[in-house]
Amino acid sequence: MAHSSNSTLAHHFVDSEQQFDASKMGMWIFLVTEILFFGGLFATYIIYRAWYPDLYIMASSQLDTSMGAINTGILILSSLTMALSIWAAQHNDRKKTTIFLAVTIICAISFMIIKYFEYTHKFHLGIFPGANYTFTGIDHVKAPQFFSIYFMMTGLHGIHVIIGIGLISWLIFKNQKQAFNSSYYTPIEIIGLYWHVVDIIWIFLFPLLYLID
Amino acid sequence: MDNTITSPKNGLKIKRFTSPDHPKVNFAQAEKGIKAWLTTIDHKKIGLMYLGSIAFFFFIGGLLALTLRLELWTPAKTFLDADAYNQVFTLHGAIMIFLVLVPSVPAALGNFFLPIMVGAKDVAFPRLNLLSFYIYLAGAFFSLYSIVTGAVDTGWTFYTPYSAQSSTSVVSMTFGVFVLGFSSILTGLNFIVTIHKLRVPGLTWGKLPLFLWAIYATSVIQILATPVLAITLLLLIMERTLQIGIFDPTLGGDPVLYQHFFWFYSHPAVYIMILPGFGVISEIIGIFSKRRVFGYWFIALSSIAIALMGFLVWGHHMFVSGQSTLSSIVFSMITFLVGIPTGIKIFNWVATMYKGSISLRTPMWYALMFLFLFTIGGFTGIMLGTLSVDVHLHDTYYVVAHFHYVMMGGMLVAFLGGIHLWWPKMTGRMYNEKLANLAAFLIFVGFNMTFFTQFILGSKGMPRRYYNYIDQFQSLHQFSTVGSWVLGVGFSIILYYLLHSLGKKGVIAPKNPWGARSLEWITQTPPVMENFEYTPVVIHGPYDFHKPIAEFEYGIEGSDSHGHEHHKDQHVNIHSVNV
Amino acid sequence: MNGHHQLSLKVLLGTALALGVLTILTVSVAKIHIPSPFNIVVAIAIAVVKAYLVVMYFMNLKNDKKFNLLSFGFSILFLLILVGLTMLDTMFRVEVIPGF
Repeated sequence: MAHSSNSTLAHHFVDSEQQFDASKMGMWIFLVTEILFFGGLFATYIIYRAWYPDLYIMASSQLDTSMGAINTGILILSSLTMALSIWAAQHNDRKKTTIFLAVTIICAISFMIIKYFEYTHKFHLGIFPGANYTFTGIDHVKAPQFFSIYFMMTGLHGIHVIIGIGLISWLIFKNQKQAFNSSYYTPIEIIGLYWHVVDIIWIFLFPLLYLID
Repeated sequence: MDNTITSPKNGLKIKRFTSPDHPKVNFAQAEKGIKAWLTTIDHKKIGLMYLGSIAFFFFIGGLLALTLRLELWTPAKTFLDADAYNQVFTLHGAIMIFLVLVPSVPAALGNFFLPIMVGAKDVAFPRLNLLSFYIYLAGAFFSLYSIVTGAVDTGWTFYTPYSAQSSTSVVSMTFGVFVLGFSSILTGLNFIVTIHKLRVPGLTWGKLPLFLWAIYATSVIQILATPVLAITLLLLIMERTLQIGIFDPTLGGDPVLYQHFFWFYSHPAVYIMILPGFGVISEIIGIFSKRRVFGYWFIALSSIAIALMGFLVWGHHMFVSGQSTLSSIVFSMITFLVGIPTGIKIFNWVATMYKGSISLRTPMWYALMFLFLFTIGGFTGIMLGTLSVDVHLHDTYYVVAHFHYVMMGGMLVAFLGGIHLWWPKMTGRMYNEKLANLAAFLIFVGFNMTFFTQFILGSKGMPRRYYNYIDQFQSLHQFSTVGSWVLGVGFSIILYYLLHSLGKKGVIAPKNPWGARSLEWITQTPPVMENFEYTPVVIHGPYDFHKPIAEFEYGIEGSDSHGHEHHKDQHVNIHSVNV
Repeated sequence: MNGHHQLSLKVLLGTALALGVLTILTVSVAKIHIPSPFNIVVAIAIAVVKAYLVVMYFMNLKNDKKFNLLSFGFSILFLLILVGLTMLDTMFRVEVIPGF
């Protein structure tokens, strides 16, 4: 491929393909760090559950399985629409790209709204992380630990969803300014990779937290 | 030899590029002024900004060390009270590890030289590189801000339960370290992608300078380990602010779990700190013995082995913490194994020197110091890894001596060696070698005075982090303190002559004062903004000292936009061509 | 852009459908009482299959450079090392939390 004079090619890359591959490789490496970051929380969960299996069974009853399942469905849908936005960009369809990105954001916001209802319901019962835990409905001395882990895992995940909403909004903004086309859609590709990892983390959170019976 | 050749394998039109030692406009002259530096995306300037910052923080950490050694002049209070003493050693450790040693070689020397060594114009993500630097400064700010708000007295390891309960500014410092972690991760990410994607034609993995193999292995550790530290510190901050009860036993948590998570990062972190040093030593010993480094692939792959195996030994910091006997046994066993790849390197470096044409210039003195001091440090590490021995020596000065031998006698000495090796290339100036050798000698003497004594103190039972001690230890402590002053003098001399070389009376350096062969020595001094005025093509290996320099000056005009993916992984062989 | 693998609409929709089915499956299985520890094994197994589908098809790892697959694999491996070696301590202690 001849040396491109287009402005999206940075001066230190020889061609767009090298730049695209480098960007993807960079994002995959970053996602490795995300997996290990969340992984620490999964490790905490596993270790405490191995110590107190009964607690986990009891505590899980406080988590609403249907809300969790709906949220799982929403995130899977958002992953689909994210991938479809890339498909649209590859076909040079600017309008569809924006639409699919927008639907992804709507899914993400819906996810957060459901999370909001879940959290406020818990607060209403006195289930808070750490020191403010006052709920008496679970007869186990380590009950606060379960919910600390629950809030940490879902809270950190929620923060990543919000960051995703910000990033995808930026993509829509850039797309509307005609920054992307079938030759250059790298930011959509790499933010898409991030978003899928956010989905994958929830795919594991859901059974581990909600479906313990 | 002709000046133009055509490699039949891939059709590259290669010609020889000769250039004067010094360019008309070097990288520092290409964009001028403070603003240019602060907003630069040029990896060389970013590397130098890191170097300056690291030197500054080293100075602060060093002052803290001198302070605490001075307090230990007498068995009881000398001039600090106990709480202040705890804060001093905590800050000393945190600064030296997180602000100096972890970034040191990769951020300063790696940033400057990695792209040049692979023949590229910059790292893969230059703007991310600048962001890394600013994140580093932000992390440093939060960490040091803690001094103002009440300091930290937990030790750099922040063990619970004390760290969850101490009234000092644990949150500010741990948040600072959390932020610093991102700088480390982004730098590692940048380096891995650069080495994979931006190598020039002919630069196969087997022709990479060993320094780059070391940086690569370091970057892998940074990616895998740092996130776990991040989540651990985040959980600790939550423990302090929300009392979530994961690590604090009074809230139902497990303090040993904190140690597991902390050391999962912090043990590989010591390899993050030392591997780049190993890389520098490989370069120095090769160049100053004028010989191919013995066992190239053993050294290259042992770096990868250390990086990976280093993740399996963290429990050797926890033998007396209350972890199960089974895990202690497993961790001890693997600790013995992890010494093997390092041992291989030491043997290979010595073998490189055998029958070599040794040139005792300043960088080589540092390399020789390294071999001696690091070997002591490494051996004593294995001794500490022996379960029964560790029961006696854990948390004594023996441990302090061990890690100073590997980190300071090893890593810092290697860093100094790298600075002295590459100073002419980065700055275009040569330093006063007599003063440099004097400083190196003082550092060697001062270091052994300070720290060998501590092996003795430790095995006699002097606990670490203790503010006061029994009278019998006083003369040893005083000897150690005097050693710290000798060290201080040595470092001051280094600062003096390096700064002096940059001034009006500084000596201008040629582009290849050591007669080396890797790409950074082929380009001009200091390098131009884009590192090369052509795209280099690599024909020989970086330690082929017997091949004439002319054969290292080949390249192609402009940039290689034709099938770069293939060229860099194919050998370019001028002897297979008719010229 | 030449060299880029074009995503296929059929594959994407098929993957989403499969993920939906697996989600329904995972919820249904949770309602059946399976003796521990197999209930966890089944739940995790289904989650792993779902993650596999997302990684291979939505993230396009199937058609991507091998290095990216290797990176992903390493992250899982080292996570397992963190959990595994820590549990070599936590599961083999005499008391769960020393002294408390």
